[in-house]
Amino acid sequence: MTYTFQFSVVFAKLPYLLGGAVISLEIAALAFGLGAIIGLGGALGKVYGSRALRSVVNGYVVFFTNTPALVQIFFLFYALPDAGILLSPMTAVITGMTLNAGAYLTEILRGGIVSVRVSEIEAAEVLGMSLMQVVRFVILPHIAKTIYAPLSNFFIWQVLGSSLAAVFGVEELTGRAINISTANLRSIETFSVTALIYIVLTFVASLGLALAGRWAFRVKAKVF
Amino acid sequence: MLQRLAEEVPRFFTYYTTMFLLQAMVRTIGLTLLGCGVGFVVGLLIAALRMTRTPLLLPARVLGTVYVEIFRRIPFLVILFIVVFVVQAVSNDVSLFAIAVVAICLLSTAFMSEIIRSGLESVPRQQVETAAVLNFGFWRTLLTVLLPQAWRVILPPGFAFIVMFIKDTSLASQMGVVELTFTGKVLMNRGFSPFLVYGTVLCAYFILSYPLSRFGAYLETRLASPRNRGSLKLLWSGPGAAEHSAVGGPG
Repeated sequence: MTYTFQFSVVFAKLPYLLGGAVISLEIAALAFGLGAIIGLGGALGKVYGSRALRSVVNGYVVFFTNTPALVQIFFLFYALPDAGILLSPMTAVITGMTLNAGAYLTEILRGGIVSVRVSEIEAAEVLGMSLMQVVRFVILPHIAKTIYAPLSNFFIWQVLGSSLAAVFGVEELTGRAINISTANLRSIETFSVTALIYIVLTFVASLGLALAGRWAFRVKAKVF
Repeated sequence: MLQRLAEEVPRFFTYYTTMFLLQAMVRTIGLTLLGCGVGFVVGLLIAALRMTRTPLLLPARVLGTVYVEIFRRIPFLVILFIVVFVVQAVSNDVSLFAIAVVAICLLSTAFMSEIIRSGLESVPRQQVETAAVLNFGFWRTLLTVLLPQAWRVILPPGFAFIVMFIKDTSLASQMGVVELTFTGKVLMNRGFSPFLVYGTVLCAYFILSYPLSRFGAYLETRLASPRNRGSLKLLWSGPGAAEHSAVGGPG
């Protein structure tokens, strides 16, 4: 095998790639944030809701967690125009990822809600805590501790998952890597550098989330 | 639109299209099983390696850790691209299916290794020390002391991971591997409406993953240690919201 690596052509395009990384982060953050709203509604519906509401939420969660996000977005992107709804690639990707994230976050948030035990609330009441104090000192810390690690894991996962936007021509990190490699024909180098950017990006994100969790909720989240 | 669908359905669900879809499902299962099988074996080896304490194996331990940490932080699509181009630089006679399998194995090894490691670490340290006192060797400790106790921690996320992988293999369609998603593309090019095609493909994925994720959820409640089984007395549980699988989710 006589392959000589040439990283210089890739490094020349580094700012372009890093700009793509910012877009990746934006997609992930947007899908995560919107998904969290759906997830909160879903979790509350699943815990408090009527039988009908619970089965609707359940159906949504089960369907979206058991089918690939890629095909869900294909469906949104190619099938909805038949029904007269035309989505741009970016909108389709964010909508698909949001719906997908909403399903997972429903489960994560529900886990947080049910993690608070009756006996602890009762103990707090015996100690004479008001409702707000119970919420502030018993319920919220409990929920934060239970869901913080899964939530930050899920965010990292969303960052990696946002790479499938490249399939629809969105120019985020992977999309830009494809653009560069088709121009410079240095595919191995380009995608290695891209992989490295993803590693650094998610590592910095996990480190930041772990530190924030430690500071805000005293969660001992592990970076590794 | 509904009219068009009603007109297409009989044309769509003919013997040949159905067989075509079934073959694609088999390929998706094949990709997943090969990836997860290899991933499990190699992942177990890496996890076992990371349990060792000899200074002699320190470089291997570091290498294992670096591998696991790196490959869990690269999107599958990017791994696929790298593998495709590296393999093609070495030899241009490798099938796309094989390339996809290699990429999946690389990724699943990293994830499986991490799942197995967390399972092994869940076993109390005293068990290992007791085994050492009884003069058990490394492999004997691993196979007869650690693994039998670690199963209940390994299996539920293991199944969640297999489901995740069934879904991730859909990205292999971007390389031209003929699995379910690619089959959807082919059928769409044959003129069927995307609504019907991708709806069917989604259902096919659902048929593959749903039983597995149910089985994983079942194992989670079945294998939970009796001590923890009843402990989640739910405060805010609505009527009948008793089933409380622990927080599932990816990664």
